[in-house]
Amino acid sequence: MHNFDYHRPTSLADAAKRLSGEAKLVAGGMTLIPTLKQRLAQPSSLVDLGGIAELRGIKPEGGGLTIGAMTTHAEVAHSAEVKKTIPALAVLAEGIGDPQVRNRGTIGGSISNNDPAADYPAGLVALGATVITDKRRIAADDFFKGMFETALQDGEIVTAVSFPRPDKAAYMKFPNPASRYAMVGVFVARTGGGIRVAVTGAGPGVFRATEMEKALAGNFSADAIKSVKIPAAGLNSDMHGSAEYRAHLVNVMARRAVTACS
Amino acid sequence: MPLDPATQKIRAFDQVGTRPLRPDGLDKVTGRARFGADATAPGMLVGRILRSPHAHARIRSIDATKAEALPGVKAVVTSKDFADRSDDLRDILVNIMARGKALYEGHTVAAVAATSASVARKALKLIKVDYEVLPHVTDVDLAMEPDAPLLHDDLITSGVEPVPTKPSNIARKIEFGHGDVDKGFAEADLVVEREFKTEATHQGYIEPHACLASVGSDGQGELWVCTQGHYMVRDVCAQLLGMDVSKLRVTASEIGGGFGGKTTVFIEPVALALSRKAGRPVKVVMTRDEVFRASGPTSSTSMRMKIGVKKDGRITALDALLKYQGGAFAGAPVDYGGMAGVACYDYPNIRVVGYDVVTNRPKQAAYRAPGAPMTAFAVESVIAEIADTLKLDPIEMRLKNAAKEGTKSAYGPTFGPVGLVETLKAAKAHPNYKVKLGKNQGRGIASGFWFNFGGQTCVSLNLNIDGTLALAVGTPDIGGSRASMCLMAAEELGIPYENVRAIIADTSSLGYNDVTDGSRVTFASGMATIHAARDAIKKLCGRAAKVWGIPEEAVVWEKGFAKPSGANAGNFEPMSLKELAANAAKTGGPIAGHYEYNAENAGPSFATHVVDVEVDPETGFTKVLRYLVCQDAGKAVHPSYVEGQFQGGAVQGIGWALNEEYIYGADGRLQNAGFLDYRIPVASDLPMIDTAIVEVPNPGHPYGVRGVGETSIVPPMAAVSNAVSHAVGIRLTESPMSPPRILKALGEQAARKAG
Ligand SMILES: Cc1cc2nc3c(=O)[nH]c(=O)nc-3n(C[C@H](O)[C@H](O)[C@H](O)COP(=O)(O)OP(=O)(O)OC[C@H]3O[C@@H](n4cnc5c(N)ncnc54)[C@H](O)[C@@H]3O)c2cc1C
Repeated sequence: MHNFDYHRPTSLADAAKRLSGEAKLVAGGMTLIPTLKQRLAQPSSLVDLGGIAELRGIKPEGGGLTIGAMTTHAEVAHSAEVKKTIPALAVLAEGIGDPQVRNRGTIGGSISNNDPAADYPAGLVALGATVITDKRRIAADDFFKGMFETALQDGEIVTAVSFPRPDKAAYMKFPNPASRYAMVGVFVARTGGGIRVAVTGAGPGVFRATEMEKALAGNFSADAIKSVKIPAAGLNSDMHGSAEYRAHLVNVMARRAVTACS
Repeated sequence: MPLDPATQKIRAFDQVGTRPLRPDGLDKVTGRARFGADATAPGMLVGRILRSPHAHARIRSIDATKAEALPGVKAVVTSKDFADRSDDLRDILVNIMARGKALYEGHTVAAVAATSASVARKALKLIKVDYEVLPHVTDVDLAMEPDAPLLHDDLITSGVEPVPTKPSNIARKIEFGHGDVDKGFAEADLVVEREFKTEATHQGYIEPHACLASVGSDGQGELWVCTQGHYMVRDVCAQLLGMDVSKLRVTASEIGGGFGGKTTVFIEPVALALSRKAGRPVKVVMTRDEVFRASGPTSSTSMRMKIGVKKDGRITALDALLKYQGGAFAGAPVDYGGMAGVACYDYPNIRVVGYDVVTNRPKQAAYRAPGAPMTAFAVESVIAEIADTLKLDPIEMRLKNAAKEGTKSAYGPTFGPVGLVETLKAAKAHPNYKVKLGKNQGRGIASGFWFNFGGQTCVSLNLNIDGTLALAVGTPDIGGSRASMCLMAAEELGIPYENVRAIIADTSSLGYNDVTDGSRVTFASGMATIHAARDAIKKLCGRAAKVWGIPEEAVVWEKGFAKPSGANAGNFEPMSLKELAANAAKTGGPIAGHYEYNAENAGPSFATHVVDVEVDPETGFTKVLRYLVCQDAGKAVHPSYVEGQFQGGAVQGIGWALNEEYIYGADGRLQNAGFLDYRIPVASDLPMIDTAIVEVPNPGHPYGVRGVGETSIVPPMAAVSNAVSHAVGIRLTESPMSPPRILKALGEQAARKAG
């Protein structure tokens, strides 16, 4: 690890001010610190968001939920509010990594990082969530931009994520046997706006399985998508599983999620 | 000094067999324990190692002048800093520092000592190594092909007649057995033959290798190191560095796991060489990446197993071909592994042929019952398939053939009292064996064996002024042996367990001890402790006799007191250990017991495992539902630790069966050198592992103790494979049985059925 300055501001405005040059935000540090250790990033300073109270917490809002960027996976997993309003989101958070990671890792950090195998991106896209930053509001569909890329601009800070309440939703994940990240995760949500099926882990970034969404609009049942094959071309292939294996898992996980929704 | 087994069976123990608190527990959970990387010394430098990025390359030259000139760099060492040799330490010498060729990715080519980690890292980048990249081979079958890239141009296969004229990657051929296998197969009603493959795994100890070396300008050296055998470290390092053994004192730190992987040296001679050159203490700590790439994983194997049986399940013959690759140097455990892997049964006819093969991978090191799990996987899979075909209960089938007292083992000796039959019966009687299985579920049974070793051992037991005792042992405690030693000393002396404190003495404070391996410590150091306690008791009785003015023979020791042996001896109040300790100065000085010997008759340990799994037919994922280990401990000195050994071995074996594997790319580089890509099972992955301790006393130990640490990893790969095979209805023959592999097998079966 190279040397860097460390700041722990107590207000969002102060944090934004510190974000100049090669400065980097740190939330739970679960991804950032290993990157620093491997010297894949060499920031001049770290701005720790842990001291900013307004970035924490889960609030009911307009029937849905707003979750502060610094809310940990464990807080989401155990929140009575989340379990009541969007239980599938609590299930998703409970399935992230292991207890240590869930106690440190945050929703803001997870989505800003946009690991292609992260769980939250599937939840945000399927639920039609909105990412709130210190500058603007971004629809989840526009936020995630492929592998480790987001719509965030330099110095922009995610402050919260706002989730509308779905009628029904379920998340099914096949964890990578080694890392426990999603080898494939499928989030299915039925909302007033229709049915959304979001897939993570399988491709270079979260994507919607539109063919499945169409099939489910006519007949919301696992059988309706049984024959909807996701093409393996373009999916991830690595030592843990081939693109074909992942394509197969998308169908299996999607059917299970639909069954869990019905 | 074996006691009469008949009397052992009825011996009642006061403390052996109880479960007192472990002496190292508090230190470990509070972080007070000092592990390898915790040692520090004034003026300490940081040592870092430059490793080959190539799987196989000639080293044309190494230019370290720029690195040496970097401010903060105090020493750079290469193979030039170690004298070449031609004795049996040469492979170790070449493994710790490449000479002429880099033989695997991660092979050490140079090392630096610098004032900080960042300077050291910069220095590594400044060392220019001119490599000529050579073709490589990492697969055992490919390495045996006649045109395979050759690792050593002087390696001539041993054990073959006539002696080959050309070098190859086959270091050794072994063959053992008895009877006539062709005749045996001719007599069989059913013959099953299968091919198997297993992948290499790592011991996965949580503590990476670490040491602190300090060599003074007077040539005196100190080394603090995390190891399973500090005497071995001392002797090997002293020879590689050309030091007198007496000038190197090695202290073993607390150890964060070893499982066999810390029974050799890697960084230690390098740290000493750096320190000697720099004239300052040097600490070297491996990263996890280095542990994976450059310590000692297991062999990967390719095997053919053929077993013939009569209709009733009696085995008529076994014929096996075993190919083990052991990395860049000879020594794959195909011999011990093969012998142990077939040891469970009584074969009228058996032939085992094995090959020890070198490849461009790190030199394998021991891993719990080295080599046995692989052969056992093949044997127990074929046995299971036979039991299925003949519709025999798998435990009955095994009982019919089980090795017992009087059975001539395939590797030579005839067994004394052993507990395989008892473990099979314990498995059959256990509630787990009666649980009804549901859809997609399967049950697997497998048995296993390990020889267990004795070896050179030495302990010292010193009485303190208050009647407590200091026990110095020379075998690093990797599985709770200190607690067991204290229990055995307390048992002999008849005093509370808490009054004995065991430490692992450094190499200058106690006589030579072999490495902690071969499940030998509770057996061998334990027996030495018992004899040292008896030695002390003899002296204590002598002191009491002196005070009472009676002959020494007229004093007996009973539950912590010296007593006159009977009315004729005189009427004296019993004298406590505490009183004797307080009066020691007046009665002849310090009181101690010692014992040193070469322990024999370790007594093998057999086990039977039963596992139930559920396989998800849509994903290929296997969930372990319940797991039972029944194993013979001879006598469980501290049952919680024995159960811990059973559970730990089972868990590591389950990881081997389902997830763990070294994955090599086409470039000969390891693809998954970290725990994010190489999964060892953690508590949340598995159910509680059930255990049943079987006690068939070992006549070679005063309390009947057998080693228990290794046998527990022998059956799991086979047991899990048998369970998965039953759950999916296909015989699986490759480990690990990862989800994509199982799904692929299911797909192939469906295709076969369809067309
Ligand atoms: C062993 C392990 C297992 C894991 N398993 C899973 C899993 O199964 N599923 C899963 O989804 N994830 C998994 N993760 C990742 C985990 O969820 C982390 O929470 C996540 O990667 C990053 O969150 P963090 O709060 O730690 O962010 P950090 O590591 O602190 O930051 C990550 C990145 O986001 C930026 N950032 C952080 N907060 C903000 C913000 N508010 N605004 C803008 N940018 C910001 C940082 O600058 C940095 O670039 C795992 C991680 C580990 C170490």
